Amino acid sequence: LSGAKAPTPSAVNRPKMFRVAVLLGLIAVCVAEVEHCCSAEDRRLIQKQWKVLWRDTSSSKLKILFGRRILLKVTELKPDAKALFSRVKIDNPEAPEFAAHSMRIMNALDMVINLLTDDDALDEAVDHLADQHAVRAGVKKEFFTAFGEVLFKGLSRVLDDFDGIAWKSCFRGILGKIAGKLQA
Amino acid sequence: PLRLTEVVALRLKSVLKMKTLLVLFAIACVGGVLADHHEHECDALTRLKVKSQWVRAYATGHEREDFAKAVWRAIFAQAPDAKTLFKRVKVENPDSPEFIAHILRVMAGLDIVISILDQEDTLKEELSHLHEQHEGRHIPDNYFDAFKVALLHVLPAQLGRCWDRDAWDSCFDLIAHGIKGH
Repeated sequence: LSGAKAPTPSAVNRPKMFRVAVLLGLIAVCVAEVEHCCSAEDRRLIQKQWKVLWRDTSSSKLKILFGRRILLKVTELKPDAKALFSRVKIDNPEAPEFAAHSMRIMNALDMVINLLTDDDALDEAVDHLADQHAVRAGVKKEFFTAFGEVLFKGLSRVLDDFDGIAWKSCFRGILGKIAGKLQA
Repeated sequence: PLRLTEVVALRLKSVLKMKTLLVLFAIACVGGVLADHHEHECDALTRLKVKSQWVRAYATGHEREDFAKAVWRAIFAQAPDAKTLFKRVKVENPDSPEFIAHILRVMAGLDIVISILDQEDTLKEELSHLHEQHEGRHIPDNYFDAFKVALLHVLPAQLGRCWDRDAWDSCFDLIAHGIKGH
């Protein structure tokens, strides 16, 4: 090169550069946060851990039991939610109607989890679930928060291998989006 | 040292055992043949077989997407008109996230009924739920037939040699019958 040195930043420029550096630093931290939140590794872990529940031929019985427990627990914590499940006979949890419904909820979870590695299709599926819940009067956002808590607690008991941080980092966003079209 | 009579007795015993085994084997064969005649029924054992084969075929993650896409390609190859039912979910672009999410929803519905094939009451309940969901859509019977042909075409590709066509044939009919309501 011609030997021209890069101009040394003048005293006037220094605060500006400092601001740029701070901004860049903030961006780096934010990207790291997003990256950590439901990262590719988190998604892979969730899929791997969830698979265990579905391996066995008779696992549908376990899934129904698990789904039923979750719904009963959520409605115990949020009594206003109970009436929403009267059509599927929540008052008689042993009824086939409630068994089938418990299975549907577990199956929706399964669909979402298996789509974790296809972001665009996952968004579409979650959006559709949001629509399905938005048309049901009386569904509240807080029910989904409770559902998440009960689900994580339940999973930590049925899965020997359960990475709570990975599950929470992905499901907070997913449950938030499913509840995203609700009024209350 | 064994005496000759003992040796003879032992041999006789083992020959008898062999004979018993042969007789049992023959009964098992005849039973098998007879059972073959009944294989067009989706009975308890057939349901278990379908369930376990489904778990393998249905797979997970991207493999599941590929499985679903293959089934739908085979459906539209037989019944191109069926595409009109899927306009809202962007069937014209089968790789679109809308279409993928949709076909996975349908497969998930099939997954529910197959996994509860061995729980009669719950199965009945789910089939009537699916019947209600399909009732208003006026799906012609030949679309269900196309679905069956497509599924029975793609399944062996997923499962290799270990799949039982008759079992699927009969259990799919039971499911389709429940969804159609006739």
